[in-house]
Amino acid sequence: MAKKSSNLGLVRYLKPYMKFALLTPLTMVGEVMVDLWQPKLMSQIVDDGVLGNDMDLIIRTGIIMMILIILGGACGVGSSALGGCASQGFSRDLRCDVYKKVMSLSFEQTDKFTTGSLVTRLTTDITAIQQLVDFGLRGFVRDVILFVGGIIMMLTLNVRFGLVLVVALPIETIFVLLIMKKVNPLYSIVAKRLDRVNSVMQENVTGSRVVKAYVRENYESGRFNDANESLTASNLHVQQLIAILQPLLMIIMNASVIAVIWIGGWQVEAKAMQVGQVMAAITYLTQVLNGIMMLANMFQTVSRASASATRINEVLETEPVIKDAQSDAKCTEKGTVSLKNVSFTYAGSGGRPVLSNVSLDIKSGENIAILGATGSGKTSLINLIPRFYDPIEGDVYVDGVNVKEFKLEDLRSRIGVVLQKSELFSGSVADNIRWGKKDATDEEIIAAAQIAQADEFVSAMPNGYDDIIAEKGASLSGGQKQRLSVSRAVIKKPEIIIFDDSTSALDLGTEARLRQGLHESLKGATIITIAQRIASVKDCDRIAVLDHGRLADCDTHENLMKNCEVYRDIYSSQVKTSGGEV
Amino acid sequence: MPPMPPMGPQKGGPGPRHAARVNMEKPQNGTQTLKKLMVYIGKNKYLFISLIAVMLIITLLNLAAPSIQQVAIDYITIDGDNTSVNFKKLIQTLILLAAVYIASSIFTYLQGIFSARLSQYTVKTMRHDLFARLVKLPIKYFDTHNHGDLMSRMTNDVENISTTISQSIGSLISGVLTILGSFIIMLTYSPLLTLISLSTIVLTIIVSTIMTKFMRKYFLQQQILLGKINGQVEETVTGYKTVAAYSKEKDSIEHFEEMSNELRTCGIKAQICGGVMGPLMNCISNFGFVLIAAFGGWFCMKGWITIGTIQAFILYSKQFSRPINEIANQYANIQTAIAGAERIFEVMESEPEVDNGKADFTSENVKGDIVFKDVNFSYVEGDPVLKGLNLDVKSGQKIAIVGATGSGKTTIVNLLTRFYNINSGQITIDGVDLYDVPKDELRKSIAIVLQDTVLFSGTVEDNIKYGKEDANREQIKRAAAHANADEFIERLPNGYDTELSEGGSNLSQGQRQLLSIARAVLADPKILILDEATSSVDTRTEMHIQSAMVSLMKNRTSLIIAHRLSTIRDADKIVVINDGVVAESGNHDELIKKKGVYYNLYQTQFAGNKT
Repeated sequence: MAKKSSNLGLVRYLKPYMKFALLTPLTMVGEVMVDLWQPKLMSQIVDDGVLGNDMDLIIRTGIIMMILIILGGACGVGSSALGGCASQGFSRDLRCDVYKKVMSLSFEQTDKFTTGSLVTRLTTDITAIQQLVDFGLRGFVRDVILFVGGIIMMLTLNVRFGLVLVVALPIETIFVLLIMKKVNPLYSIVAKRLDRVNSVMQENVTGSRVVKAYVRENYESGRFNDANESLTASNLHVQQLIAILQPLLMIIMNASVIAVIWIGGWQVEAKAMQVGQVMAAITYLTQVLNGIMMLANMFQTVSRASASATRINEVLETEPVIKDAQSDAKCTEKGTVSLKNVSFTYAGSGGRPVLSNVSLDIKSGENIAILGATGSGKTSLINLIPRFYDPIEGDVYVDGVNVKEFKLEDLRSRIGVVLQKSELFSGSVADNIRWGKKDATDEEIIAAAQIAQADEFVSAMPNGYDDIIAEKGASLSGGQKQRLSVSRAVIKKPEIIIFDDSTSALDLGTEARLRQGLHESLKGATIITIAQRIASVKDCDRIAVLDHGRLADCDTHENLMKNCEVYRDIYSSQVKTSGGEV
Repeated sequence: MPPMPPMGPQKGGPGPRHAARVNMEKPQNGTQTLKKLMVYIGKNKYLFISLIAVMLIITLLNLAAPSIQQVAIDYITIDGDNTSVNFKKLIQTLILLAAVYIASSIFTYLQGIFSARLSQYTVKTMRHDLFARLVKLPIKYFDTHNHGDLMSRMTNDVENISTTISQSIGSLISGVLTILGSFIIMLTYSPLLTLISLSTIVLTIIVSTIMTKFMRKYFLQQQILLGKINGQVEETVTGYKTVAAYSKEKDSIEHFEEMSNELRTCGIKAQICGGVMGPLMNCISNFGFVLIAAFGGWFCMKGWITIGTIQAFILYSKQFSRPINEIANQYANIQTAIAGAERIFEVMESEPEVDNGKADFTSENVKGDIVFKDVNFSYVEGDPVLKGLNLDVKSGQKIAIVGATGSGKTTIVNLLTRFYNINSGQITIDGVDLYDVPKDELRKSIAIVLQDTVLFSGTVEDNIKYGKEDANREQIKRAAAHANADEFIERLPNGYDTELSEGGSNLSQGQRQLLSIARAVLADPKILILDEATSSVDTRTEMHIQSAMVSLMKNRTSLIIAHRLSTIRDADKIVVINDGVVAESGNHDELIKKKGVYYNLYQTQFAGNKT
């Protein structure tokens, strides 16, 4: 039940729109009043006007009725406008908050949710809750007014009729609760299966090249059909369960109608009541019945929204693993990185350490390389510096301050990382480079691109820097994407710049020119490079050699050749295959 | 990846992305979309007919119940003729009433079941068809359309249709039935008055047509914006590392808020539009009522009709307005569904990959002779990438393709696999024109390893098996050993059964490449293409892979694109691509001796430190 209350907690997002939320049912009342009044005018037109042959009366009353209806209609439009303001504002705030939360989570946490699921939570789930708010403000209030009004009117007619309600209403409530109990957990299954559909869809859209290359369209269709079938099955299950509710409620209410006529018969016989009163009671009972029907219809929206609310709360209640420091860091140095006895394990990897007890001091302005076999922990090591992950043991210092004492934005503004996988975003070439510096001028962008050896190919594009990059950079070659990623880091002019094997698709000539440009433009910056080719890093001040998560050695090329066996191995593997040249 | 200039709105005419955008923001013919949607609903013909039949019965029962009630009331009425309540007859009537009520409940239950099934089966078919078309779309489509938006069509747009069918179609049908029924009865009372009340219907149709035209853009825009939000989430979550590295969270949130604001504004507009319909229809139907009353009164004065007729007529004309109002209340739902359907049909109607290959060509019998003859190709009109490229690869050869980044190396792969189609010239495989080869057979005979690795959710084994579904563990392990992946896989917590996490945080980039290679090895094709397949793998591991591959590449045609000299040195033939043509070709020693383009490349690029 604790979960339930936290779902209701989402109501807090309605607070800023209280004015709208309160006015919506109020204007609704205006519409309902006209609705209630209108039959009276109608019967007046028929009884006195048409039957009484009074044309003036017909037209006069007709005009009054039309005016009233227009007023009522205006109230109706007003209430849907106000309700719209409230529910749409509500969902916007909630959506933005959930997105903000997502943007504060760490990679492990977003991985755990999966992209497909986060996407559905931010769209489908929020839409479901928004619908409930809207229905709630408009329909619910109206139905409750009719429902409660009907009950009160019935009781004032004859308290004996109350007996019927005393029996009927609890039975109805029990049925509603029973079915709700059965249906509620099913909605979270539906949501999970929708996630699955979304994930298969995402994999196929992003991995279309591989699907096609391996002619797996049929297999993927099969996979999708499984997801589709199971989504359909659970949706159907839910809807068929809900389909029981309406006839069930109907039959109980109709039994009440029969009971009222029967009781009415005895009352009339006993001269305790007029037939007209029985008829009125039936009218009110029908009204109560309609109210219940409407509420039952809403019930589907409620259960659905409640499952969605649980999913939204799951995101909102996730505590970011990596938290911002409270105060600004007071740095004592500039451009230094220091790892002290650092060990690291990825969550869910069975506790196998990726890095064990690594210590490394990088001096300001140093040009250091990291070398090691595939899976030796190179990327994991540099991921600790901008605090993408926190080490299990040991500490990481940047500019003399523990990274945990930095505000993340401050820490990351000091560091430029060029990731192994170049990720480009929708927008123009210039937009993507501007990621490194929001207010960069065109000249700065071109200068950065020149350093990154990107200017040449960008200029050759039909619209140059304004060229729109295709989805996920599909329009660019691997080397071109890498060079844009480098431009993005260069324009940032960070104290520390990290290249995570991010020039692998460049030929050595381009790479050499890029390095030279970097050294000239980022004078004094600390440069950390992960590379595969010794040729790319030979001239670095020091080379750190990683071997199965341990730091084998860290020294100059010459010393490593003398002292480090792992390094010599790597060296000889490259000499052998390239025929002597490194 | 191809050096393909983007497909955006640029010179040389609008690209597909641009075209798509224009189409999307202008609502297409709504009636057309509705018709297509009806075709889908109609696919479950019997269900649909049953639903109509059930609705018909419910409508009749609902009409019958009040009159039986009236009879019952009459029995408990005490007036001049009846001095006491006739309990015997009352019980009989009440039993009849109960029977009607029970029948009505049963049929209402059936209606619920039928409409649930109709909606679920319909959207299931739509999802199925949408996906079936999606996998047939050319690569170009995926390169030029926002992925998150495509996903939104599959979920948000389809969901809207499902909700509308299950919730609105019942009232639609009962509405139409009631209107039809009362119309016929009205006609029997007075054709003249019916004509007048018909004007209400005409007015309703005219007004709703105008309103719909006017409002549709909001409903469509709402769905488009939802798609954009989907896209933004997908993009920033997928590229979250870069977002974090550049502290772009705030900007992303800002951008997200902008779109959310837009969606809010648009949503409010759409909702107001939907809200206007109800009162508007109410006005019209009441206006119709006054009209009938006035004309009825006048006719009565003239003595054309009797008062009883008017009374009955008015009763039925009230029946008329209720369903119209109900349909008007469903208006917003229906419009949203149509807007969604339009976006779904847009994808479904996109041109699929062409496959006219009829040649007798099977992947088992491929030899692997590949010839490019005067091939011209451009991704964007007016910006040629290949300019009359000629290439001749003999079966079993190992060919290395080198050239500066962006010179068109990957384009060759894109053309050979028919991801993109050539503009002119010819490509043949074993002497057969590439476009005469059945597409699937062609692709089955080729295995490619891309620089950007693609792994799917599932276990390590599932991912390697992607190239050959029926492979057993033994074969999988052998392929992994060839790719030098066996060792690290065995060290994973669950070995080959380890589930891969989405962002791949439990594997390094190099390890992901090794898995892709294992996948290609297991697929065992006649033609192997490695496009920068080992760029993130360390040189020692790469060396191991190469020695393992030597035996594997025997009797196989292999195309290798790489920057590392080590990977290309011992190729049978090195092809140097420059500016869209083959500058020269030959083996390493020949080309070095020739002192041409390759020699220069070699001097300045492969051995960059020697310049």
